[in-house]
Order: sequence, then structure tokens, then C-alpha cells
Amino acid sequence: MKRILGLLLLTLAASFLLSGCWNRRELNELGIAVAAGVDKVGDKYRLSVQIAIPGQVASKKVGSPQAPATLFTSEGDTLFEAARRMSQSSPRKIYFAHLRMFIIGESLARQGIAEVLDLLFRDHEFRTDFYFAVSKENTAEETLKIMTPIETIPANKLFTSLQTSEKIWSPTKAVTLDELINDLSSKGKHPVLTGLEIRGDKNIGEKKINVENIYTPSHLVYSGFAVFKSDRLIGWLNEKESRGYRLILGDVKSSVNHVKCRDQGKVVLETLRTSAKVKGSMVKSRPHINIRFSAEGNVGSVECSGLDLTKPETIQKLETEMEQMTVRLIETVIQKVQTEYKVDIFGFGEAIRRSNPKAWKSMKEDWDERYFPNLPVHIQVDYHIRRTGTISDSFLNEIRETR
Amino acid sequence: MRHRRRSSHPVRSVDKEKEKTSSKPQSNSSDVLSADLKSNLDYIRKTLGGSTDIMIREISLDEKDGLKVAVLYTDGLADQNTITESIMKTLARMVNSSKVAGREQIPSFDGSQILAEISLQNKEIQNFSKYKTLFHSLLSGDTIFLVDGFEDGIALGTRGWKDRGVTETSVENVVRGPREAFTESLRTNTAMIRRKIKDPNLWLETRQIGRLTQTDVGLMYINGIANEKIVQEARDRLDRIDIGSILESGYIEEAIQDETMTPFPTIFNTERPDVIAAELLEGKIAILVDGTPFVLVMPALFVSFLHAAEDYYQRSDISSFLRMLRYLSIFISLLGPSLYIAVSTFHQEMLPTQLLFGLAAQREQIPFPAFVEAVLMEVTFEILREAGLRLPKNIGSAISIVGTLVIGQAAVEAGIISAAMVIVVAITAISSFVLPAFNMSIAFRMLRFPLMALAGSFGLYGIFIGATTLILHLCSLRSFGVPYMAPFAPLIPDDQKDAVLRLPQWMLMTRPRLINKDNVTRRKSTPPQKSRK
Repeated sequence: MKRILGLLLLTLAASFLLSGCWNRRELNELGIAVAAGVDKVGDKYRLSVQIAIPGQVASKKVGSPQAPATLFTSEGDTLFEAARRMSQSSPRKIYFAHLRMFIIGESLARQGIAEVLDLLFRDHEFRTDFYFAVSKENTAEETLKIMTPIETIPANKLFTSLQTSEKIWSPTKAVTLDELINDLSSKGKHPVLTGLEIRGDKNIGEKKINVENIYTPSHLVYSGFAVFKSDRLIGWLNEKESRGYRLILGDVKSSVNHVKCRDQGKVVLETLRTSAKVKGSMVKSRPHINIRFSAEGNVGSVECSGLDLTKPETIQKLETEMEQMTVRLIETVIQKVQTEYKVDIFGFGEAIRRSNPKAWKSMKEDWDERYFPNLPVHIQVDYHIRRTGTISDSFLNEIRETR
Repeated sequence: MRHRRRSSHPVRSVDKEKEKTSSKPQSNSSDVLSADLKSNLDYIRKTLGGSTDIMIREISLDEKDGLKVAVLYTDGLADQNTITESIMKTLARMVNSSKVAGREQIPSFDGSQILAEISLQNKEIQNFSKYKTLFHSLLSGDTIFLVDGFEDGIALGTRGWKDRGVTETSVENVVRGPREAFTESLRTNTAMIRRKIKDPNLWLETRQIGRLTQTDVGLMYINGIANEKIVQEARDRLDRIDIGSILESGYIEEAIQDETMTPFPTIFNTERPDVIAAELLEGKIAILVDGTPFVLVMPALFVSFLHAAEDYYQRSDISSFLRMLRYLSIFISLLGPSLYIAVSTFHQEMLPTQLLFGLAAQREQIPFPAFVEAVLMEVTFEILREAGLRLPKNIGSAISIVGTLVIGQAAVEAGIISAAMVIVVAITAISSFVLPAFNMSIAFRMLRFPLMALAGSFGLYGIFIGATTLILHLCSLRSFGVPYMAPFAPLIPDDQKDAVLRLPQWMLMTRPRLINKDNVTRRKSTPPQKSRK
């Protein structure tokens, strides 16, 4: 008994002491990747990884000579090989779990992104909570070189800025990996990704001077949606169209629009709580789409005189104006996509599939080519103004009178 | 009192007795007293090696070869005042009165009369005829009174030595509640408990344990509430103890505990009389040991180590909050460093990104793996704690300076230890002191190390394995037959009222189920009501 116990203890001790800890990684052995970008160079992938330098990010020293992050690039026939080849230049094993942004270069996006995504989805180290963006006109590598103020790690800036603009403005959308793959694998919906631009001189943007002054000569700006046909980029939406697109999705949490006030001037309405119900139906064996959009809003600011907000009629008039405006916004984007791109990025096919799976089955193969471009879309908007802010009538009324 | 009189006239029979005893010297060396005072005293002197603190006073009541008596006591243990009051004065009075009565005659003393008189003057008396009893009484502080010509003596209860007196608690402090703590004297301690429970069913059994120390050990319980089986078990276990010495209740604890191979104490101890009273009222048994202020309680449940006396003195919401805080802190003190090790070396993806940067930045220059770092700091802390405990009070501040400045700050600045690790170790250390019971908190502190090793080699998986093993082990423990983890395992819904939470007093109607199966109802109770006038 004692012998057995002793042997058991010995085995245990040996397994502790001799085996080591095979997947143990100390924090200071990690190269924490915060952003990754992929471009296509010839027929090779060019992977750029932005790695945060914790000592620079978390240090209390001011004016340290090093940048808060560094960029490693490598090329390979496949993305995985490129990632491993990076160890030739990086001192530490690159750790992708804390990836915040994945930037797809426009060149790659036009050739197809699906092959890249498989690695991200398959590998256990990637969490699926990072956002995608397509770098417009520039390569992903160039985008990741730009220094940013306030958020010293550019990836963090991109992450939070995308999150905020999605929340309180609306022409952007933070798309995560699982959403993207969902859209890709669905026949009735094509994905869109937010575009990312470098504004200003990108050569200065790469240098520290960029963040040394109050005004940054070069900065990263999100702009409009990239429209994909399956996994290939085929075009862009401008800001207005992008906002219309978000309205159809019905996930706008907060946004701001203006309508004309009487003859001149503007009234700004802050839209809150939107919802859009996209219903498909078959009328005389033709697919139809009904969008019921409803929203609530507040009067954000009044930039004209003579508007009596205490009267219910005024409010009703504003609501009607707003409803018309919203219809216009939605119609514009649908029309553009139907005529120019001919890809269903709105999920109308999905709506048809849900309402009439049988009909969808016969249509799904040539949905984009035959049915979608001529799809009649009926839009119904219901807008309610709930509050007028902390004042009712604008003081502008008084000013004009005395003038 | 039964006096064996050797002669009707002791004065005259002295020589005869002397001859008798001297002719039979063996009777002395055996264990029974002889009738001859002188040989008795000689034997006592010889046995005690002439120890100078044993006072032997031979008193001759007559001027001539009259009746001799002897008073023996241990200086320092026996109370001088009592001896003077009850023995010396009585003797003096008898001598005086006999002188007055028979002025011209030879005053005659009857030994039995003296013995009777002395006995009357004392509250505690015990007669004996054996040396064993004599020595035990003498060395316990009793005064031995021997009369020439009698084969037995009497022991008078004159115990009274300088003790510390009842002082404030030093280990288990409370904000609200009684301040008194047990002392080193058994009798004071039993009195303190009796003062709290004035019930005839509070029973005390005493026995002497320890071949050399002959330490008084008291077994206290409330008859009718305590489970008779457990009481009998406690008696049996006490009787089985064969040990040279008992210097503290820890000796008893080790001798009677259920399980030796466990870090967890299965017998509770406290220095607070109010806690003992409360435990007795729950049906538990207390073992008091002379010479230590720490009283044992059994059966002990895991939860009682997490309960403080004060829980019952504060309002129930406060107490429940504080208890939950304690449960939380045992988790921290057990798992704090190991969770940090596991997360920072295996599961970095679990950390918020900003926190990861912060931790990674601190670890940039650290040469050791997180596990080594943690062990270094934990061991250092344990050394500091132990040193702080043993140091004379006036150098204690030196330790805190060395501890905080040199080890805390300098080690971080030197890049040997990361600041996060110092925080983790500090919070762990403080959490471990939240437990009211020192032996339980030290158990958790010890178990921290194997868990750290598991975390360092297998990550959270290792912690999970370790914690599961620990819980299984805890559930396998018994204290005097009562499952250690009751009322959680087995789950007793009724007893949850006083486990993690402490419900209002009026809801605590029953005693813990497993300890006393029969008599569980404390009282019928209704919530306090406002008078409806």
C-alpha cells in the first residue's frame, strides 16, 4: 500500500516537473495583435499586423521615443503561412485573441474575401468580436500605419470610433466575423462592410508629427458602405445611401436628420428607437416587399423662426415632413442598389424566403439577376415626435421680430 | 467523616504508633499513609525531593510531647489567607480554649475533634488515605492536614494562586458583544460559562489527563440538548487518551479529532465564553482544559469557523452581509493568486484588452514566470506574517517597514515582481484575515500553494481539478460523526437560516438538525409585533 502510494506520488510529481507547461505563455512573451490587415499583392497575401507595445501604452512616462504600436508585415501564398512567416521579423509569437480590427484592402476585397475568413473562423485563437472594415483606395497596410491621437493605439481608435458612429450617427456598421459569415452564406442577403479612408497626407500620417500638434494632418475616417456581391466588392455607397441602408435594417439606435422648416431654415430631429419590419409577399406570383418603418424622435434644434412648437399641428407637420424624408432616404438607396449593383444587400430575399419558402426555392438561384432589380418595394413610415427638448418655442422667434 | 482511630488516647499512644510504623516501613513506601506523622512527613519530603516551595509545618499543640499535627501546602498555589483563617486560627482557638478550660490540668486534645473542627471551617474537604491523592491535592494547591495517629488525612480546598484574571479577548475581537475572555484557570472558566447559563442541566464532568501533568479537563454540555451519543463518544475518546502531558487544549484536540490527515480543523476552539455558551445551547460539547484560555467545541462544522460571535449581536441584515463577505473572502484567499496565474499565463483572451496591456506592461521586465513570482511573494508574505507574530511588540514596526517598503515597493521597482502581483498577494492576505478562526484561515492559506502549482501547470483546468478535490475532501470529513459540510452537504433546508445568512432571531426556532436529532425546537416563536392599541 505504501509502495503504491509512493509510486503514485512520484508519478504525479514527475508529470508536474518533467512535462512542463506546453501551452503556457507568459504575458511578456506575447505580441498582442490589435489590428490586422490583408492585401493582395500579385497572387500572394500580404498580411500586416499591428502589435501594441504594452510598455508604451500603459507607461506613465510622457514623450517616450517609441510609438505605442508597431507593424509587422509578411507575405505568403496563404494567410496562415503569412502569419507564421511573421515570426521571422517579430520577436514574439503573435497573439490574435485581442484583435480589435480586421482591415481588408480594397484590392483584396475586389478579388474575394472568403478564403481569408475561413482561417479567422477556424483558428481557436481568434475571438469573433473584432470588427471588419474595408480600406478604401489605400492598402490595408497603409491604413494601419497612420498614427492617431487620443487613442494611442490606432486599432483602438478604429474600434471605438466605429462603435460610436454606429451608435449615434448611422452611415457605419460594426460588423463582426459571425455576422459577416452569416451574410456570406445566405443566398438572400449580401454583406456590406464599412469603408475606411485616410484623409490627408498619408506620408505625414505615418510619422509621429501627425500626433504632435493639435491638428492632425492625416487621419482615419469611416465613409460609407462597401457593397459586396457574395464575397467580392463591387461598389460603394455614399453617406446618404449608407444611412438609408441602416434605416432598412432597422437597427439605428440614434441618428440625426433635418427637415425644412416652413420656407427657409431647418429643423433638426434626433431619431431614437427605430424599428423596421421587412415583409415579403407574393402578389400574382411576383415578389413584393413591404417595409414598415417606425421611429420616435425629439426635436434637436430649430434653426428657423416662426415655428410654434406648442401647437400639435406644427408637430404633425414636422412628422409628415420627416416621414417623407425618410421614405426618400430609403428609396434612394434601394434604387441605386437595384439599378447599379444588382445585389440584394438588404435581405429582401431572406424576407421572401421567410414568408413564402416555396416560391423562394424557385427564385433563389437567379434572385439577384432577375427578381431583385425589378422588385417593387412599398415603404410605410411612421414617425413620432415625443419631446421638444428642454425648451418649447425657439428664442429665434423673438430675435426676428425685433430685428 | 470516617476517622480510623488507632487509640482512645492518642497522646499516649504515640510511641506505640511509632514502633508500629517503624517496624513496618514498607507500608510507607507502598501507597497508603501510616498513622505515624513523622514517618509520613519523612516520606513526603523524600518523595518531593525536599522541594523548597512545599511548606510543611509541624505543630505541636501541647508544650510537651503533646498531640502533633502537620499542615502542608504548596507555596504560591495555596491561598495564604484561607490557610490562616480556616486552619491556623481554628487551631489557635482550640489551644486557647483548652487552656482556659483546664488551667491546671494537662490539656487534652482529641484528634478526631480537631479534624471535625477543621473540616467545619472549610468549604471543600476531602479525606484520603493514599499518597497518590495526597500528592495530587497538595500539588494542585490544596492544603493537607495530617494528625498524628491517624491513617488518613484531609485535603482542604485552599486553591488560590496568582492568575491573570479575566481580561479582554485578544484573538476574537468584536465591535459589539462581551469583551471578557477565558483565562488559564479552569474554575474561572467554568464559572464564566455558568454565569451565562443558569440551568441545572448544564453538566460538568472533570477528569485528570496526562501522566505527569495530571491536568484537569472538564467536559461540559447541556443534558437533554446535547446528543447523548456524542457526549458518550467524547467521554470515550477522552478516556482513551494516554499521554504524558497536557499543556494546552491543542494536545486534546489532536488526540480526539476525527481526521489527522486534513488541513481543516474538525474541532472548534474559542477564547470567548459567550461563544461557548451559544455552542452549548446548540447542543454541542465543550472541553475545558486547565491552563489555557482556549476551549474546545465539538462537533465542529465548517460553517461555524466562518461565523463570528458578533453575527448574533448585530442585526440580521448586517450579519448576513458580513457573512457573505466572509464567504467571498475565503474564495479570494484560496483562489486569488491561482486565478491570476491561470488567467495571465493561459487564458489571456479572458482579460479586457486594456487590462491586458496594463498587466503586460508591468510584466515586461519580470524575469520569472507568473507562478514563480506568485510563490515568491506568497512565501515572503507568510514569513513576514509569522515574523510579525513572534516579534516583541516594540520591534514590530520594523517588520512593517521592511515588509512594505523593501519587499513591496523595492521589489516592484527592481523589476523582480510586478505591481499587479503585489496587489493580488495583498488582497489575498487581507482576505485570509477576515476569517474569525485562525486555524481555518491558515488551512486556506496552505491550500493556496498546491492550487497555485495546479494553476501554473494546467491553468483554469487545474484550478477546477484542485477545487473539486478540495470540495470532495471537505464533504468526506466528519466531526464526531456529524458531516463537516452540513448544512450544505447533506443539504438541510431548515438549517440554511443560520449558514450563509443569519436570519432574524425569531426565525431561528430550531437547533442544528444533525447535532441533536431529538430536541431541536428552541422555542415556539412569532415575529415581533407592534402592539395594536
